[in-house]
Amino acid sequence: MQKSNLVLSIMLWAVVALFILYPLSFLIIESFKIAETQTYGIKNYLDFFKDPYYLKTFGNTLFLSLLVLIVTTLVGLPLAYIISRYRLKGKVLFTALILLPIVLPAYAGAFALIVLFGKMGVINLLLTDWGIVSKPINFLYGLHGLVFVQSLHLLPFIVLSLSAGFTNIDPSLEEASEVEGANGFKRFFTITLPLATPNYLAGAVLVFLWPFTDWLTPLIFGQVDYLPSISYINIAYHFTDMHRKYMGIVSVVVSAVICVGLFLASKYWVERKKYTSLSKGTTLEGRIIQPGILLKVGSYVYMFLIALLVLLIPIVLGLSAFSRRWVLEPFPTYWTLENFKLIFIETPGLLKNSLLFSGTALLFGIIFGLPAAYLITRTHTPGKEALDFIITLMLAFPGIALGVSYLLAFWEGIPLATHWIIMPLSLFVRRLPYFLRMAHASYLQLDISLEEAAEVSGATKLYTFFTISLPLLLKGVFVGVVMFFIMAFQEISTAIFLYRGGWETLPIGIYLNWHRGMEFGIAGAMAFFMIVIIFILLLIVSKIGGGILGAAWGSSGGRY
Amino acid sequence: MWKKIFLVCMVATLLMLPGEVFAQREKVGWVGPVYKELSDSLMKGFKDFYKRTYGKEIEITFIRPGGWPVCVDKVRAWKGKPDADVFLGAGAPAFEVMDKEGLLVPYKPKDWDQIPAQWGGMKVKDERFIWTCFSPWIVTNLYNERVLRALQLPVPKTWQDLLNPIYRGYIVQTLPYASGTQHEVIEIILQSMGEKEGWAYQRYLAAQLDRFSTGSVDTTHMVSRGEVPIGIAQPQMNAMSARADGYPVRDLLPDKTILVPESVGLLKGAPNEANAKIFLDWLFSIEGQKYVLEGRYFPARKDIRFSALEKEGVAMAKHARDALGVDSFWDLKVGFINYDLDLATKRWDEVNRFYEYEIYRKWRELKSSLALIEEVEGEINTAKRRGRNVASAEAKIQEARRLFAYEGDYASARLTATEARQLLVSSR
Repeated sequence: MQKSNLVLSIMLWAVVALFILYPLSFLIIESFKIAETQTYGIKNYLDFFKDPYYLKTFGNTLFLSLLVLIVTTLVGLPLAYIISRYRLKGKVLFTALILLPIVLPAYAGAFALIVLFGKMGVINLLLTDWGIVSKPINFLYGLHGLVFVQSLHLLPFIVLSLSAGFTNIDPSLEEASEVEGANGFKRFFTITLPLATPNYLAGAVLVFLWPFTDWLTPLIFGQVDYLPSISYINIAYHFTDMHRKYMGIVSVVVSAVICVGLFLASKYWVERKKYTSLSKGTTLEGRIIQPGILLKVGSYVYMFLIALLVLLIPIVLGLSAFSRRWVLEPFPTYWTLENFKLIFIETPGLLKNSLLFSGTALLFGIIFGLPAAYLITRTHTPGKEALDFIITLMLAFPGIALGVSYLLAFWEGIPLATHWIIMPLSLFVRRLPYFLRMAHASYLQLDISLEEAAEVSGATKLYTFFTISLPLLLKGVFVGVVMFFIMAFQEISTAIFLYRGGWETLPIGIYLNWHRGMEFGIAGAMAFFMIVIIFILLLIVSKIGGGILGAAWGSSGGRY
Repeated sequence: MWKKIFLVCMVATLLMLPGEVFAQREKVGWVGPVYKELSDSLMKGFKDFYKRTYGKEIEITFIRPGGWPVCVDKVRAWKGKPDADVFLGAGAPAFEVMDKEGLLVPYKPKDWDQIPAQWGGMKVKDERFIWTCFSPWIVTNLYNERVLRALQLPVPKTWQDLLNPIYRGYIVQTLPYASGTQHEVIEIILQSMGEKEGWAYQRYLAAQLDRFSTGSVDTTHMVSRGEVPIGIAQPQMNAMSARADGYPVRDLLPDKTILVPESVGLLKGAPNEANAKIFLDWLFSIEGQKYVLEGRYFPARKDIRFSALEKEGVAMAKHARDALGVDSFWDLKVGFINYDLDLATKRWDEVNRFYEYEIYRKWRELKSSLALIEEVEGEINTAKRRGRNVASAEAKIQEARRLFAYEGDYASARLTATEARQLLVSSR
């Protein structure tokens, strides 16, 4: 056991202890509190397991998670392959496009879809006007709608992680299999896909755990009996009913522990195999194939269809941003700039806060996440599994729970919550798994002997990291950075509980304007603005990042 | 290139540090669940007033972490060191609970006497000055007139009307623990019909629902969009607000309802207590109440006439008069029930829990149970028309209804309905 690893481990644990364990302990302790007697015990947990309703909702949520994972994988797999392997124009633009749904807070995206697909939505009104249907078609309200919306939302996680995986594969491996006579499909399923497993798993866990925290979408689409909705309502709306709150925490803790446990078990099973490659290929953009004309057309059609689905949300938001009273009409009839006038005064401040908070959070994320990924994949430090477990747990923890515990922990005693730094800190903690998982997956594909060679040649650990590991890890890390930033940018449920006057972020602004009469347009304008900002940011990043981003996303324009 | 990115980030960060370093400025902070129009309007009005009266700028912060139970939780988490001075919005129960937990201190605003002490048997302000109503409203339902017309459905006027099968699938409401207004609707039904009939009513109403919304604002959005034409449990001013924006919705003053005194209270340990008191005095002045109306809430002062304000150019006054049909809120004629606030506060959690366990959690079962009962009833009626003796089947199906409505035993109700069907078949 190297001393430096131990020191690193201790430092990471200190951060985890202060910013995750300490605040969450406030909540966890409450889950053992018995409301009637004001004593402590495991009664709440027994109640949870004895109550068939909780088990039923847990089962429902698990089922939903699996459905969403299957759908995103089936749709995302070809997409990721197209993006990372074929030489096509407009891939970077397209990859930036499919990120758009996750940019928005869940309710804004869901609401835009209701405007479009609802019973009195655009499609149904048009179909009725044209006399094609007499009664509105139910596109959304039901399990099918829920799966549709969540899959659309989560598709980028699968696509980005898989394409990072595909790009990372040494081209010589695929070429070798071709020389040996494996055709396209065989090569894909025996060489390409298995080698991308660690990356797929990283994306899959993000997708799989999402339905366990998304309490709002099921309710918006008229679905009851999902665990996150129950836990959220119990925690947020307990008012004076403490038992309700404790049971909410219990259900969060139990489902989080089970799900993350399941995930880590599958991860260790996967990691028994070796995914690393020594040569790291010849190009940073990985293997690029010039597709035949049929494949090319097919790929474009596929990309176009997905892009169309994805663009629906921004289009609806855009239309409502420039209009008012868009209701019971297929298209807006009352156009106005009033919405923008109203939000124009607020927005610059909100944008500034959003950028500052998620930018700072990103900085924390990188400073913490890279060493953490290193520690977990590269060392045998005791307790590294526990570290991984605790950080991943945050994926299954609802934002309000984190918000409440942060305020309880950092208002008195350690008065961090009086300083704006609490906002990036909480974003960092809540969104850390997104970065860690991607960095971790990239580490798995990097053969340790490359680092060892550097160290044998006399390089220090730090020097090795910056000259050998980091450049080779860049693809995965960059995808992680983008995911982390976007997820921090759109975070609302923790931020809304912690913000003080003057700290409002864009999502909070959208939320507050949501509660402004019936005018969807004002919130719509802000959401539209937010999408545009993120999109521009992505394009700027790809300009600065140039080859790196191109490589990370498998651009044909990679100039490395 | 990484250097470049880093540099850009650094410069950007330096430029963007929040401008927190205000030198000793006057401040006041609000926390509460009021809509944004109101907070915006009050901010504008009070800043203006403060500048005019004290010759200084005042910085106002307003935070709304969520619905009012979340706001209460936020105040709790501050543990006596609140980050705001005034709790703005929510009805009496929220204030009663915060008072019990020692989170509030009494304050009597200057024009306290201008607010009625009670109305229709309900308290409008607290005699210990813990809370005072700045904007009264009535618990109403909301409907979309265009969609109802398109569906060729009449407007439901009473609570009983809502149970008419023609409205099945056209009603939306939220959960009583997600919204105070929804909770109060259930309490209204319980107190006016009696507990037994009240819960039976709730079971039947649940079977009429298209879905449960995420909160009362979600209900408002759904109804004004026409997704679901009827919404239960809406603050009265939502209809006024929506109509002012040009949406085809109207409020339904049901036959039995109560008043909700949207109130303010002073938080214990308020960091800017002096300014908070100035704000409270202003809020109950004629000028403050005008800004309440401009913020799309009804003013609470007895001496306010909408027609007079309309002449002064208060734009919302006309909408308020149109919505209420009277010149002052207190002139409204409403079918109030004899509401027992103490009872309601005491059994708050109990009612919510009962609703959750007996109705929400069993919603699907409840609907299928009632559907089967209705099916068998239809068969019995057909058999009756054909001159068959259906007495025993009829008795059985009545028993099934009783089990459904009063026992809430949906499984037994189904079983009994099936037995009734068997009796019908074997009685030929």
